[in-house]
Amino acid sequence: MSGGQAPEDRFPTFRVLAQAPAWDAATRELVLSRVRPPHPPVYLNGHEFATATALVGQLLDLDDELAAHLAASIDHRLTEDETDGWHYDDMPVDHDVWRQVLAGLDDDARQRNGTTFVELPAAEQHALLHALHTSQDERWHDLNRGHTWDLLLRYTCTAYYAHPAAWDEMGWPGPAYPRGYKNIGIDAREPFEQEDRVPSADPTKDRDDE
Amino acid sequence: MRYRDVRKRNESAWLLPADHRRTNQALREGMRTFGDDDEVDLVVVGCGAGGSTLMQRLARHGWRIVGIDAGPFWDPEADWVSDEAGSHKLYWTEPRTIGGGDPVPLGSNNSGRGVGGSMIHYAGYAPRFHPSDFKELTNEGVGADWPIDYADLQPYYEAIEEELPVAGQPWPWGVPHRYPQSPHPVGGNGEVFQRGALAAGIEARVGPVAISNGRFGHRSHCIYRGFCLQGCKVNAKASPLITHLPDAIEHGVEIRPDTMVSRIGFDERTGLATGVHYLRNGREHFQKARMVAVAGYSIETPRLLLNSANDRFPNGMLNDFDLVGRYLMVQGAPQTAARFDSEIRMYKAPPPEVSTEQFYETDPSKPYKRGFSIQTVSPLPITWAEHVAAQGHWGRELRERMSDYVHWACLGALCEFLPLAENRITLSEEKDRHGLPVAHMSYSQCDNDKMLVDAATTVMSEILSAAGGTDVITIKRYAHLVGGARMGATERDGVVDRECRAFAVPNIVIPDGSVFPTQGSANPALSIMANAARVADALATRPMPSATEVPAGAAA
Ligand SMILES: Cc1cc2nc3c(=O)[nH]c(=O)nc-3n(C[C@H](O)[C@H](O)[C@H](O)COP(=O)(O)OP(=O)(O)OC[C@H]3O[C@@H](n4cnc5c(N)ncnc54)[C@H](O)[C@@H]3O)c2cc1C
Ligand code: SF4
Repeated sequence: MSGGQAPEDRFPTFRVLAQAPAWDAATRELVLSRVRPPHPPVYLNGHEFATATALVGQLLDLDDELAAHLAASIDHRLTEDETDGWHYDDMPVDHDVWRQVLAGLDDDARQRNGTTFVELPAAEQHALLHALHTSQDERWHDLNRGHTWDLLLRYTCTAYYAHPAAWDEMGWPGPAYPRGYKNIGIDAREPFEQEDRVPSADPTKDRDDE
Repeated sequence: MRYRDVRKRNESAWLLPADHRRTNQALREGMRTFGDDDEVDLVVVGCGAGGSTLMQRLARHGWRIVGIDAGPFWDPEADWVSDEAGSHKLYWTEPRTIGGGDPVPLGSNNSGRGVGGSMIHYAGYAPRFHPSDFKELTNEGVGADWPIDYADLQPYYEAIEEELPVAGQPWPWGVPHRYPQSPHPVGGNGEVFQRGALAAGIEARVGPVAISNGRFGHRSHCIYRGFCLQGCKVNAKASPLITHLPDAIEHGVEIRPDTMVSRIGFDERTGLATGVHYLRNGREHFQKARMVAVAGYSIETPRLLLNSANDRFPNGMLNDFDLVGRYLMVQGAPQTAARFDSEIRMYKAPPPEVSTEQFYETDPSKPYKRGFSIQTVSPLPITWAEHVAAQGHWGRELRERMSDYVHWACLGALCEFLPLAENRITLSEEKDRHGLPVAHMSYSQCDNDKMLVDAATTVMSEILSAAGGTDVITIKRYAHLVGGARMGATERDGVVDRECRAFAVPNIVIPDGSVFPTQGSANPALSIMANAARVADALATRPMPSATEVPAGAAA
C-alpha cells in the first residue's frame, strides 16, 4: 500500500505537552493522567488484555507500549461501564461485545494457525483483521459483523485521539482554555502552532487503494 | 437591544460572578429549599432548555417550584475540561437501545445529563423556525399541522434571542429579522463556506449563534477556542445554567440535582397528578406538587410517561390513544468535508459560524417536499476520526489521513425528516442501574428523508468544490431529537394541547422538545425555549386546573 505521508513527518518537532503550563488545572490534570503509566486491567484478564493490546496496535498501527496504554483506558471504560449511552438492539452491551470479540479473535487465529491471536505474527494479525473488515458476511461469530467493527474502531480511536501523541502528529494544540485563539482564519497560526512541513502531501492521493 | 430591559425581566447574566469563577456559589448556597411534603406549585422534571425557561418565567409570577435533574449541578470552572474525551460525563450515558430500519447511533451526539440539559454541550446555533413549518399538512400534504402559528412564537423568539443573546447578520429567510448582537469574526472553516457559497451562487450568513459577542452582564466574551460541544468554560455560550437558572434561583426556585425521577404520582379519584417519585442517594422519595412539568428530552420524557403506567393508564401515562413515544424525529445530518492545500485549522473559532437556509422550503421543481439547511461544523480529533474511519480506513492509513487534519474543512446539513408514527420510543427489556426499563428508540427513514440527505450532500459538495476543496468525503449522521409527545388540536392528534397541557391529565404540562409536531431544518433549542416561555405565560394567566375541571376519563 502507501504513497501517503508518514504521520510523523508533518509536524516533527511539535509537542503539545510543552504547552501544558498554559492550560487550566482541571484539564491539565486530566491530560497528564493519560501519559502516566496505566493501571493494571480490571475488567479484562491477563490474556484478554494482551489480545486487546495486539488488536488496538493493529487497528492504528501503534507500538506495543502505546497500544497497552490505550487498551488500559478501554479496560477502564469497560470496568466503569462508561459507554456512549446506546447500543444496537441486535448487539449485547459493550463490555460483553469486547469479551466476545477477544475470544472470537483467538478462535479465528486457531483456525488459521493453530495459535492464539497474540501469538500470530503481526502480518497474520493484520490479514485476519482485514478479512474481518472486508468480509461480506453479516455475522461474525455471534455478533453483527459491521456493528462490531465500528464499535472496536470507535473505542480505539476515542482512546488514541485523546492522547497527546496523536495530537502531536496532527499538529493540533489540544486544550485551549483559558488561552483561546487570537489568529483565526485560513493559513493563520498562533505562535504555539507549527506549520505543516508537507502541506501538499495529500494522503488521499497516489495510493493504490486496497 | 437595551441591556436594561433584558435585565429587568431576566437578571441571570448579572447574577454570575464577574471574574473567572463562573459560578455564583453564594446564590446556590442560599437557595430556597422545600420538603417533600410541601405541596409546591410546580415540580419540573429536567432542568434543560424547556424546563429551565419555564421555571424562570413562572418563578417571576411567584410560583413555588422545585426543578429536578438526574445529573450534576455543574460548576464550569471545576467540572468541565477543555478536552473531548474528558467531556463524556456531560452526556446521558445511561443505557438506551436503538433499532428499526435506519437505527440512529446517538454517539457523542447524545443528549445531556445535568443542570442545563443538552444545551451545556450543544453547538450554539440558534435559528428560528419558518412560518411554513406550522402548517405543512394543510399546505403541502406532508408532516403535521401545529395547533399554533409562527405568530404565536414570534414575540418569544425575540425575547429569548435577547436573553441568550444571539449574534448574527440580518436574517433574510423565514420571517426576515435582525439579531441583538453583531456577527462574530469567522475562522478558516467559516471562510471556506463563505468563499464557496459566493462562488456557487448560494446565499450564506454569519450566525445565528447563542454566543455573546462582547461582554453580556457578567459573562465574558468568547475566546474562539472551539470547544463549544464540550461545555463552555468561559460562560460565553448560552445555556440555561447561566441564562435562566440564576434568575430562577434568585426568585425562589429550588434546583435538586443528582436526582432521578422514576414515576409520576397520580390520584385515580381526582384524575390529577400528585407529584413525582424520585431516587436520590439510593433512597426513594416523593415530592408533592400541584402541577408536574415533564421536560426530560424527547427520549426520557416519553420513557418517564411510559414508566408511569397505572390502573387508569395501563399503557403508560397520557397514552389513551397510543401517541406517547410516537412521531419521534431526528434531523438527517450528513457532514461533508474537503481538503485544501492551505491550512484551515477548523478547530479554531466556535464550530457554529456560518449557515444558509436557502434550501429550507419546498422547491416545486424537486421530487421531494421540504428541505434542509447547511452550517459549518468543525469536528475535533475524536469526532474527526469517525469521519475518516467511516470511509473504511484503519491502521496506518487512518493515521496518515488523520495527520492531514489541519487541511480539512467540514460542513453539516440538517434535513427535515418527516414525522412518522412508527418512529418511536418504547420500553426495552433492559433495565438501568435503578431497575427502571430503559428506552428503545426505533427509527426508519421514508423516501422523502433519503432524497433530502442526497440533495443536501450534493449542495455541500458543490460549496466545498467551489471553494477549491478536493477529495470530498461524506459521513451520514443524525442530530436533534424532537417529538415523542406531540401537541395537537385534539386528544386524537396529540398528547398535549396548544398550551402543552396534557389532554388526559390537566395538571401535567410538557414544555420540552417532545411536543414538536414537525421540526423544520432549524436547530431546535431556541424554539424549545421560546415555546416554554409561551407555555409559561399561558399557565400564569390560567394557572391551576380548578377542582371542577376534572378530565373526562377520571370520573370512572
Ligand atoms: C452535540 C449536540 C449539539 C447540538 N447542537 C445544537 C445547536 O447548535 N442548536 C440547537 O438549537 N440545538 C442543538 N442541540 C440540541 C439541543 O441541545 C436540544 O434540542 C435541547 O437542549 C433539548 O431541550 P430539552 O428541554 O428537550 O431537553 P434537555 O435540554 O436535554 O434537558 C433534559 C434534562 O432532563 C434531565 N432528565 C431527563 N430525564 C430525567 C429524569 N427521569 N429525572 C430527572 N432528570 C431527568 C436530563 O438530565 C437533562 O438535563 C444539540 C444537541 C447535541 C447533543
Ligand atoms: S469557542 Fe467561544 S463559545 Fe465556544 S466554548 Fe470557546 S469560548 Fe465558549
